[in-house]
Parts: sequence; structure tokens; C-alpha cells
Amino acid sequence: MLPKLSGEQVLEQLRLAIVIRRFEEELIKLAGSRDIGHFHVYIGQEMTGVPALYLLERGDLSFTTHRNHGHLLARGVPASQMYAEILGKETGMMGGRGGTLHLCSMEHGFPTTSSAVGGATPLATGAAFGFQRLGQDRVSVCLFGDGALEEGSWHESINIAAMEKLPVIYLCENNSLEALGQKAGEYPSSTLAAVDLIDLVTPFGVPTIQIDGCDAGAVHAAMGEALHRARSGGGATFIEARTVRWPGNRPIWPELSTGETNFAMAWDSSLVPTEYREWHAEQDAVLRFIREILAEGLIEPEAILAMDAEVSAEMKEAVEFALASNYPPAAAAMEKVLA
Amino acid sequence: MAETRYINGIQQALLEEMADDSTIRVMGEDVTFGGPFGATKGLVEAYGESRVINTPISEATIVGMAVGAAITGLRPVLEIMFVDFITLGMDQLVNHAAKLHYMTGGQLEVPLTIRATCGVGGGYGAHHSQSLEAWFSHVPGLKVVAPYTPADAKALLKSSIRDNNTVLFLEHRGLYWTRGEELAEHEQVALGEAVVRRAGKDITILGVSKMVGTALKAAEQLAEHGIEAEVIDPRTLAPLDLDTIVSSVKRTGHLVIAHEAVETGGIGAEIAARVQEAAFNELAAPVMRVGAPFSPVPTSIALEKEFVPGPEQVIEAVRRSIAYNRVA
Amino acid sequence: MTTSEVSRDDLRSFLESMWLIRAFEEKAAEIYARGKINGLLHLGMGLEGVASGAASAMRRDDYVFGGHRAHAHAIARGADITSMMAELAGRSTGLCGGKGGTMHLSAPDVGFVTATGVVAGNIPLALGAALSAREAGREQVSAAVFGDGAGQAGVFHESLNIASLWKLPMLFICENNGYAEFSPLSDHTLVERLSEYAKTYGVPRVTVDGNDVLAVRDAIAEAVQRARAGKGPSFVECLTHRLRGHYEGKKSEYERSEIDSKDVVRIFERKLIESGDILRDEATEIARLARERVEQAAKAALDAPWPQADQVTTQVLST
Repeated sequence: MLPKLSGEQVLEQLRLAIVIRRFEEELIKLAGSRDIGHFHVYIGQEMTGVPALYLLERGDLSFTTHRNHGHLLARGVPASQMYAEILGKETGMMGGRGGTLHLCSMEHGFPTTSSAVGGATPLATGAAFGFQRLGQDRVSVCLFGDGALEEGSWHESINIAAMEKLPVIYLCENNSLEALGQKAGEYPSSTLAAVDLIDLVTPFGVPTIQIDGCDAGAVHAAMGEALHRARSGGGATFIEARTVRWPGNRPIWPELSTGETNFAMAWDSSLVPTEYREWHAEQDAVLRFIREILAEGLIEPEAILAMDAEVSAEMKEAVEFALASNYPPAAAAMEKVLA
Repeated sequence: MAETRYINGIQQALLEEMADDSTIRVMGEDVTFGGPFGATKGLVEAYGESRVINTPISEATIVGMAVGAAITGLRPVLEIMFVDFITLGMDQLVNHAAKLHYMTGGQLEVPLTIRATCGVGGGYGAHHSQSLEAWFSHVPGLKVVAPYTPADAKALLKSSIRDNNTVLFLEHRGLYWTRGEELAEHEQVALGEAVVRRAGKDITILGVSKMVGTALKAAEQLAEHGIEAEVIDPRTLAPLDLDTIVSSVKRTGHLVIAHEAVETGGIGAEIAARVQEAAFNELAAPVMRVGAPFSPVPTSIALEKEFVPGPEQVIEAVRRSIAYNRVA
Repeated sequence: MTTSEVSRDDLRSFLESMWLIRAFEEKAAEIYARGKINGLLHLGMGLEGVASGAASAMRRDDYVFGGHRAHAHAIARGADITSMMAELAGRSTGLCGGKGGTMHLSAPDVGFVTATGVVAGNIPLALGAALSAREAGREQVSAAVFGDGAGQAGVFHESLNIASLWKLPMLFICENNGYAEFSPLSDHTLVERLSEYAKTYGVPRVTVDGNDVLAVRDAIAEAVQRARAGKGPSFVECLTHRLRGHYEGKKSEYERSEIDSKDVVRIFERKLIESGDILRDEATEIARLARERVEQAAKAALDAPWPQADQVTTQVLST
């Protein structure tokens, strides 16, 4: 299902999804040629992040995790600055202090990224508390994976959010469902006794929405409802968006196991390879989004390829920019410790 | 003597101790998969999932749970994936693990080892790179171990597991793949014993964990300029083997302490204070410290390099110490 | 309250246990008011039914971990009251040689392992003991006793998750007295019944009237049976009243006139007299004997020597 938006807006979301996909693919390639440290990619979750964050307004804040690249790109952070930050260059958003695990851009509503699992939940809850007490019409969005629900601070946070009716949206991207080429239970990211993630929320009385995180329209509708509740004083919402873990995320270091995405697979099934057929034919959320867009006749396939070519070129340029940038001067290590 | 890697020393110690003591349980996040660096690889195959236990990502509880198991008959070895994450478990560590023996008038013992990766390297950033040994050393009731060589990693982990107290066993990530002599069969290293890694008469350099290597490199370069440095590896930071350090300082008259943790409030400050109390008259210069600058760990490889003190900084401190003019 | 299937001797021993706890705490309050006990004294008057009920359903080799308000459980388990009072008064003959005090009593020989001053801090400890119990294979169980204030602590949730996941022989015993330290529970959460959280993790749960000691015993006995049979943890929530303030020196949340109807010891005593299971004189005698025992214990405790100065630095590490 497509988001209930104008055709122009839907195509804007498509562009953002392609940006994320190509950004991550370039990054994995880059990591093959030089040591860029440990990193996490957002491939497969694009159609959660893009429509979810698309509805935010200036002033709203998002708190994210170690798997944050897609979130920042969805809100328009320039890829060049992100690559530079990941490579530790002075042209990165934080001048190389943060790196992939701690990307942030206050200008785009990302105050900080906590790479400690579950570290962002209290921060996002606190931001919402501030908005409420300062009488500001702003919403705090907390993005996290299912693993964060194993941390006690999550329960402490939602208890307070429920009691104070805080304008916060807990968006859980559950990517631990079985992926292709992976046996069930082989690489669990989650160790929870709860049968359903929303069971963890039920006692607190916070409304819950469970959706297919690869269904852009469902994400759009859920976020719309949650934002309306938050802005109208109705308090917090918990959304569980379920996505299938991309096979390339199976190893500890991401690998381009499914190859660089050929978006033409969306309309030409003869291009779908036998290997990872299920992924390409059914599970890849971006391909699914394209199929839905084509069904509505919003754009011609050739125009999608042109859009992709443009994005791909931009990403290559962004990588070049980052590689050509300087490392920060040594003295920068000591700057900004205190305000 | 055959060579081995530091990480294999850890793994060997776990395998051997588990064979000897059926009450040992290895617990932690992803330990059944070997953990992020492979330290617990092979344990499940050898001892099964009943003795190698994967926990949820719940540091506050798993530290407490390990304490609860330790006071009731088990001997847990808990892995905290990065020492940075122990912040979540500090309540249980500081308020229970460290104090239960004392608070119960000796009725309870907490035979618990907590292994954690520490240290800078590879651009892991400010949440995966810290050195927090001074925090733990400040708490009565905890022991703190920071081995440098593969043989020590094995020997000291074995001693830590056998100890009836809570031991923080700090493994520098940058040492995992370093090679060194294997531990001789039946050789043991007791907790609380420092070792002299290089003999010298002109100055004493004490290095903590990976900084022992930095100190040794500095010593080699200094030797080319006619300065013979003695390098001490304390191995255990709490309790500290002050005798070995002081007797060296009494001979050389100079002390430089190097660690990767931030210099301010670091373990070096404590060691310096104790040494000047014990050997004030023998010191020809103030004790010099080399540590990280007072900032969080940056991620950029360029900044990371600047953050971690290298041999040059150690040499610079040595020069300052030797050039120091004591006004009579 | 069903008293039919309980023997008179059992009913009598419940009353004895509850009176002993009550007498101990009354005496502690008195000594505290005279300045002979230092620190913060958290009394559990009104919670005796949970302690006596739980202890009667557990074995001596089971583990109990208390919180800051845990005198009742230590006594119900059979800890020596003279050593307990000496510990409260900081004497060398105390359970912990004066190093623990009121909030950190420890009597492992009767299964009262330890108590903590950090709200919810004992829950992970009990979880660990449950792991030990399962590994030892002697059908022991481990219980964490905590108040409703613990429900807002992360470790409570983390522990429920792990206990359920690993099917540990653990009891979550919640004394829900409606007050978390100084604040009513409603200031801290919208969730009135902590047993709701157990449902999330698939842990069997029951909420009972904590003023009904036999109901408590039955609920705990069922949970214990489940744990011993390898069927995992249970959650027993006991609705109780904390008759004193958060700690001594603070006002009670209840008016004097309200207290009698909420006082588990009086309620139980009246029931037994009404049902004819015990004579009024016998009840009076049980209370008198309890006070006499406590009186002797208190005298011995206060006559005991202070710890030697060198004790400050002993037992920091075990050898």
C-alpha cells in the first residue's frame, strides 16, 4: 500500500529510499577497500524509516541507534557529510568525533545517537518531557531495535511516558524475523520471553500499533496516528514495525551478499537471480515500493532508472568528497569537551 | 617455547578452568557464539549450553544475577562485551559484588570474574573504547586485573576465576591478536604481583595494560641515547604490588607512569601518591604521568591517534624527569 | 479465610511467628527512639502475614533475598533475634558483626541470604541464586521479596524476562503496600497491580490479600511447588498495608483509628478467637511470651560489646 500522499510526495520518498540503498551499498564497498571500523547498515528497512520520518516537522527530534544511517538520510542529512564523519574526516557533521555509531545533526533533528543498546530511550523520553513542560508543540521519536526492549531503562522510560502523557513515539524496528538463508534461531538479536513485543507495553496502557515495516502505506498511517496523538496531548504511542533482516546483515560485518540492487527487478522478473530469489521477489521493501508505484502509474520505469543513476552518481561523488577531505587537526581531539 | 595470541590465552584459561571446576558458568551477551572477538569460542562445544549461557542485553540484571549465583555456590565468569557497558551494571557491582562479603560480616563470598574489553582502537568511538580501571580500583572489595602478555592473560584469568572475590578482568582490545610466549604448563601467576619487563638503572617506567608495550618501545629508543629504563608491568591494579614499584624507584630515582585512561583521576595519580609517600627522599624528580587527554574518546582515526599516548609522549616525560632540577 | 484444613498447632505457630516479628519491631522502634540504633530504620509492621505465610511454605535450604524492610522475613525464616537486634544496634555479636545493620541483615544458615538498601537490587541477586538452585539439582527455590516501588525499576523487568526465559525456580514476592518510599504508588506509575507485568512474560501470577496469612501461604506453596517441579517462576503479589511511615521518625500514612482494621496481626488473632481455634487468654500469652523473648534479646544485644576498631578494615576481601 502506498502512503496517502500526493504522487510528487510519494516519488520524493522513493528518491530517499534509493538514496539510503545506494549510500549503504557504496559504504559496504568502501569498507572492502579500507578499514572504516565496525558499522551497521539500514538495507531492508528503508520503507520504515523514510515514510515514518517524512511526516516530522522542523523542531521534532529523532533519537536513533547504531543502525542510524537510513534515519539521517531520510531527514535529508547530506551523504557527503555522513561519509566524511564515518571516515573520521573534519568535514563530517561532528568533525570526526562521533563516527558511524554516533551520527548526529541537530539541524535535521538528530541531537544524538546512542550506540549502547537501549541508550536512547531515556533521552527521547526526556526530550518529550521537556517539550511538554516548555509548552512546545514538538514530538520526540525514539527509534530502536527489538534488542533495546531487553534493557530495563526501556521499562523505566515508558512508565514515565505513560504516566505523564508525554509527546513521544516509540518506533521499534523489529528486524529479527527470519531472513532468507538463515535458519531460525541461528543468529538471534533478541532474547525475550514475551511472545509479542507489544505485550511489553500493554501493562502501561500506551496505545500500540503493529505493522509490516516494509509496507510504506501502513508506516505512514501509523505514524500519522501517533503524531496526531502526541500533538493533541494524547501521549505516547508504541509502534512495532516488522521487517525481514537483509541477508547481508547476517555476518557480523555487512556483506553485499545480494549484490548491488538492480531496481529493474521490480518490473522485470526475468532479472531476478535464483540466489536470494525470495529476497528480491518478495522481501526487498524498496522493490516492493517501486512495484506499488508503477501499479499506480506515478512514474515510468525509465524515469526510475534515471533517478537511480542520478542518486548513484551523487553517492559516488559524496564518497570522493569524503575521501578527499582532510583528517581533523590533532588539537581537535581536545576541543568541545565542555560547553 | 611455542607462541600464542592473547585472545587464545583467554580462551584456553576458560576451557581449562571449566574442566577443573564444575561450578563455573560462563555467561554474557552472545557468549555462545564466541562473543564479538572469539574469546568464548569452543566453550559450548566443550561444555554445552547449560554451562555457557547467553543472556539478554540486560547488563544491570546480569551483573546482579552473577553476584546472586556466586554467593550461592556457582563460580560465574561474566562477559561484559565492552567495559563501557558496565555503567549499566555499576549498582550491582559497587553495591553488592564489592560489599556483600564485608556487609555480611564475612558470611558471604562473591567468587565472580567479570571480563570486559577495554581500550581504544579501530575507530569504535566513545561508547566502545574507554579505560575505566580507576573507577573499579577506587571501590573497596574489588580486584582489578589488566594483563599485557598472552601468557599473563591466561595465567591471571585462571587466578581470577579461582579467587573468592569479584575480579574485574580488563582485556585491551588492541592486545587480542598480539603474540607472545605460551604459558608454561602448571605455571601460575598470583594476583597482586607486578613484574619487571625490562631491567634498567636510570628511570622506572610503569605501563598499564597495552601501555606496557608503549613503555617498552620508548625504553628501546631511550637506550639508543644511553638512558636505561626499567619497565614495570603491575598486572594487577588492585591490590597493587607497591613493593616492586618502590624498590625500583629507590634504585632509579625517577618514575613515569603511562596509561591509556584519561590522566586526570587515573590510576597513575594513586600510584604516584603512594610512591612519593614511600620514597620521597629517593625521588630525584616528581613522578610524571602520561595518560589520555581529558576528553571523551574521539572516533576519527586521526583524532584517535592523538588521543592515545605513544612512545614519544613517554620519552618526553622521561626527558622532563631526568632534566628536572631539584632546588636544594 | 479458610482455617478448616489447617491444624490448630499450625494456626498457633502462625500467630507466634507474627507476634514475634511484631514484638521485635516494636522493641526496635523503642530502642531507636532512645537513640540506641543508628541509621534509617524501616519497619514492616503490617507485613508480618506475608513473611510468616511465605516462610511456612518454604524449606530451610530455600533462598530468600529481602529489601530494605526485611526484618520480618529474617525472623520468619528463623534468624536468631538476639543477633538481629545486636546487628541493628551495631554490636560485635550482630549477625554481620555490626557491618550490615538493619538494611543488610544476612542469615544464610536459615536461607535468608542477604538484603539490600537499593530498591529492586535484590531481584537480580535472587535470580542468580535461582540459577544456582537449578544447577545444584536439589529442588531448591529462590525468592525475591520487594515492594511496589521496585516495579518501576528496570532490573525488575529484566529479571522477570530472564526468569521466564530460563524457567528458573524463582518466586517474585511483591508486598504491594501502595507506597513507594514516601510517595503513593499512583505518583510513580499508572500500573496499580505489579502482577500485570508477569503476564507480559508468561509468568504465572496471583494477587492475594496480604492480610490473609493462609491465603499467602497457599499462593506461595503453589508457586514453590511449580518451581520445584522445574516449571519455572511465579509471581505472588500480596496487597498489604505499611502501618508505619517510610522509616522511623516519619508519619504513618494511616490515622490511628484506621490502623486496627488494617493490622494483619490483630486481624488474624481476632479470627482465631472468633472461630474458637484459640482462647483469648492463650493469644494474650503468645503475645506476652513474644515480648518477653524480645526483651531478653534486646537486653543481651545492648549489653554486647561494640566491634573492635580494627574491624573497619577486615573482611574487605575474602581470603
